[in-house]
Amino acid sequence: MVAELATLSATEIVVRMGEIAVSHAPGDVLVSVGLGSCIGLALVCRRRRACGLAHVMLPESGGRDALDRPGKYADQAVPALLAGVGLLGARPATLDAIVVGGAQMFSGATGMEIGARNEAAVRASLAQAGVTVTAAATAGALGRTIRVHVADGTVTVREAGSQEVTLR
Amino acid sequence: MASARYSDLQLDALRELANVGSGTAGTALSSLLGRPVDISVPNAAALDLADAVDAAGAAEDVVWAVVVSVGGDLEATALLVVSERDAEAIGALLGVDPDTDDGRSALEEVGNILVASYVGALGSMTGFVLDLRPPASAHDMLGAVVATVIAARSDGRDVAIMLDSELRIERDAIALSFMLLPTLEGVDELLGLGG
Repeated sequence: MVAELATLSATEIVVRMGEIAVSHAPGDVLVSVGLGSCIGLALVCRRRRACGLAHVMLPESGGRDALDRPGKYADQAVPALLAGVGLLGARPATLDAIVVGGAQMFSGATGMEIGARNEAAVRASLAQAGVTVTAAATAGALGRTIRVHVADGTVTVREAGSQEVTLR
Repeated sequence: MASARYSDLQLDALRELANVGSGTAGTALSSLLGRPVDISVPNAAALDLADAVDAAGAAEDVVWAVVVSVGGDLEATALLVVSERDAEAIGALLGVDPDTDDGRSALEEVGNILVASYVGALGSMTGFVLDLRPPASAHDMLGAVVATVIAARSDGRDVAIMLDSELRIERDAIALSFMLLPTLEGVDELLGLGG
């Protein structure tokens, strides 16, 4: 289920594979660590109503119900995340989407080339919902960590072996 | 509970298979590097996918990983993970630097030999005909590597079966972590439920 997190203390909320979190608590930092082919999708409300983060694992649900893993499939994760930030008052037209991850981790054909498909599916679902992607750090061969600072809507990415970079 | 589908008895049976597999892999590593190799008692666990990623270790640690897909009568993915320091130490024993192309292929070959030994032992025990695809490697965040393998192999399921063992070369303080992630159909085959 979408977790509404509203504490005042500075807290790092880890969003693991298949999970979603939304928050309007200024002290919260939403983080997905070690995104490979997975996508970290951040939604940030320009009116400071809420931020959300989904850790998307696969492109399509194919009708499967992920139940307690609303972030697992791109086609379910985007509506679930929109609903989550919507509960906190953020409308699609006021949202910036930031897309991180979708790497091809391994050289050679391993049957694990789902990063690009994940990114395409997330972008398609966002377009359908009328949400604009304002920044992205995707593709390539490197793992990434995304952080969403709820206080000011800053979104950062860190690639393996590099410094943290601000995307928004 | 993610493990409800598998009994302790079944997980014990998988652990025993992993034990023989990693023992054989340890022998191969020992003759490859000319060093005695110690093998830990393997773990076998049925884990929620996100828990399986956590169980592999600190997600942001940058590691060397070699991945080999196993096909034939059993679909599985084998993953060999070493820290950067240990990759350098193994490279030194083989006379290569992991950050060069030669070093990278040497690490892939080490992975390939270990997986071939492990899977060969599984094949002898079960009578399965198994084949290996060429190895691929990554020098990257541990969590990104493991999550990618698990995502690609999850086939819509919420549970991953992970058999993991550690191979240690005490003299050089090198540790290699070996994980086998069979598909759930593969697990049923191993447990003799596949018919």
